[in-house]
Amino acid sequence: MSIALRIIIDILLVVSCGFALAGVLGMLRMPDVFNRMQTSTIISVFWLLGLMVAGVLFAALVMHSGSAAVKVVLIGLFFVLTAPVVGHAISRAAYISGERPYTPLKPDKYGEDKPYDKEGII
Amino acid sequence: MRKTTFPKVAATFVVCYAFWILVTWSLAAQELIAGAVVCLAVALFTARFFIHDKGFLLLQPRRLFALIFYCLVVFPGELLRANVNVARRAFQPKIPLNSGIVKVPVHVQSTYGRAMLADSITLTPGTITMECAEDEGQLYYYIHWLDVLEEDPDKAGDMIKGRMEKWVRRIWD
Repeated sequence: MSIALRIIIDILLVVSCGFALAGVLGMLRMPDVFNRMQTSTIISVFWLLGLMVAGVLFAALVMHSGSAAVKVVLIGLFFVLTAPVVGHAISRAAYISGERPYTPLKPDKYGEDKPYDKEGII
Repeated sequence: MRKTTFPKVAATFVVCYAFWILVTWSLAAQELIAGAVVCLAVALFTARFFIHDKGFLLLQPRRLFALIFYCLVVFPGELLRANVNVARRAFQPKIPLNSGIVKVPVHVQSTYGRAMLADSITLTPGTITMECAEDEGQLYYYIHWLDVLEEDPDKAGDMIKGRMEKWVRRIWD
């Protein structure tokens, strides 16, 4: 393994870990469900993308294994496709089941319009 | 209920088979034949859920180019900008919060395009799409925004969607 490649991979890993730390800190420190969901998207996406690029470089150039590199890319792809769906589902379910932040939402167009009432969900 | 037509089955089969080959990563005859049988069975049952439109819509060169450019350039750019902003927020001693739910008009016709735009908005930190609802003939997203800078629907829409909506329309409409 050449030293330059090693340095690039290490930098990518460290940057992703920094974003993961920011995400975890945000999850613990944010005051309510919606803001916690916001920071969890940092963890799931940016952290993963950095890690994925590092993984692909390592698999393709160090291990010389095409199948490992492709699997890393596919894992990243499926993660990116499923993470936002979870985001919609949890935040919407939390709002409809009556969860409100400690400091009131300003503005709160969703609560004014109540589209979920028209669909007859509640 | 939608009907299963031949182009839909063919398109689903191609997608499944591409994934099969990528995951197994071998071109041995037994792998290819087993893959073809499994993918055909899956495609017959799931084609009508997977494809709502013309089967090979995305293979038009214009749309394919737009999709690749969106995934490799436009979206990561928006992602990086928003990520640094939210990450910096998490490290501050007192978290600055100014969150609210805004209503943003959407001008995408295709249902795939709507889903893709909503998912892109959710993946950019700082905004989560909560609902997609129609109001007086116009489609709106309700978006939870970490730092509300603008309450007017059109201006807020420009700030949140940025360049993404234009590219999503180029891909799907």
